[in-house]
Amino acid sequence: MAFALHAPRVNNNDDIVQVIAFRVGVGDYIEKGDIVLDVETDKAIVEVAAESDGYVLKLMCELDDKVAVGSILLWQGASLDEPVPEMAVADSAANGGGARPTAKARALLKELALDAAVVPASGDRLSLADVEAYMAAHGIQRRDHTPAVTVSAQENLPDVPGELADLNAEERGMLITVSWHRDHAAATYLEVEYDPKAWEDHAAAYASANKLMLSPLLPLLAYRLVQLVKASPRLNATVVNGKRYQYRPVNLGFTVQAGETLYLTVVRDAASLETRQFIENLGEVQRHALQRKLSRDETSGATIAFSSMARWNVSRHIPILPPYCSLMIAHAAPKGSGRAVLGASYDHRVLSGFDVARLLMDLAKPPA
Amino acid sequence: MNLDRDTIKAAVRAKVIELAKNLGMDASDIGDDDIIPATGYVDSAAILELVVWYEDVYQMPLKQEEINIDNLGSINSMADFVIRRKG
Repeated sequence: MAFALHAPRVNNNDDIVQVIAFRVGVGDYIEKGDIVLDVETDKAIVEVAAESDGYVLKLMCELDDKVAVGSILLWQGASLDEPVPEMAVADSAANGGGARPTAKARALLKELALDAAVVPASGDRLSLADVEAYMAAHGIQRRDHTPAVTVSAQENLPDVPGELADLNAEERGMLITVSWHRDHAAATYLEVEYDPKAWEDHAAAYASANKLMLSPLLPLLAYRLVQLVKASPRLNATVVNGKRYQYRPVNLGFTVQAGETLYLTVVRDAASLETRQFIENLGEVQRHALQRKLSRDETSGATIAFSSMARWNVSRHIPILPPYCSLMIAHAAPKGSGRAVLGASYDHRVLSGFDVARLLMDLAKPPA
Repeated sequence: MNLDRDTIKAAVRAKVIELAKNLGMDASDIGDDDIIPATGYVDSAAILELVVWYEDVYQMPLKQEEINIDNLGSINSMADFVIRRKG
């Protein structure tokens, strides 16, 4: 019997996802875990993996389609001659011309950015109740507090010969990040210098005691950040539609350069972890980044973040804030200078300079 | 896959030298028992690359707690760990 792969819920507040790339076609055999397509929300681009082994029987969406969370993306089957269920065909056929929506239904469809043709009507007209029933069936919630992230306005092409090319998934992710930083955050930056010796000694002692292969300096700094944020929860928040949104978990974003690609990897609920477990979890997502095997949870949902460019010997870098992240620490330690810098990009709508300066001063000292 | 100890050691050595070269260092004199992180030839990010390469080449996914000095600290220990796990 054929089985469906549904559009995933990427973020709590995103009820629509846009299909931006197909990795498979009809007739392909795919295994559980294989990436079948990429979808994009206002906040992230994620890879959708097959949940079961099987042949691709039918694609239910096209490139650039915006589809509701929970709707069917494609049908799979154990063999190529499996019939696709009647309901799916009927739904697909309905795309060609559904019942005319009532005014209230139309308003709700517009709010949800949902195509009337995908919603089955119970009568001659598509009613508000029909749309609400569809929402309930697909786990769609009204978007009452999520601002859209504007990626770009319509621009004229430069007056110089050239070609347009689509961005890849990582480049699109960066564009979304930069756009949120530009359009929503009141991004500000400050930094403090500190003597790195105390932290280096602390990390060396920890590495020796635990026989670590990799220097734990940056993981220990990141863990200290997590603990300081845990002690001051107001640092772990964002602003949505003019209201403060206080995060419950502390999800730490940590930048990893894998070849030419920069990832913001995420250790979830980091404040609940002991030091050793945190270092191990962070090591694991770093390895996944280098292996290009990051899961959705490992690339989304950062509530605070940490980035170091010490490896590149830069003296200062000012990070871009990822969407809905109000604080990103920037670490730099120019070789041979005997000094190091802890900076922070922060959203001034949420945090004051005093909040951040105090945090950086505390972070500059290893735990006693 | 050739799991001869000398062959593994040669491959690990070549990878360490390559990673060090990317950082502007010459690691050609690295000893078989030298503790790789302590040599200063490669930084943590390069060691992470070495570990990922090692897992891939020897088709041997590692648990995070296995990535320690005892198992992977030197060229000799990296070769011995493959043989112990695969043998």
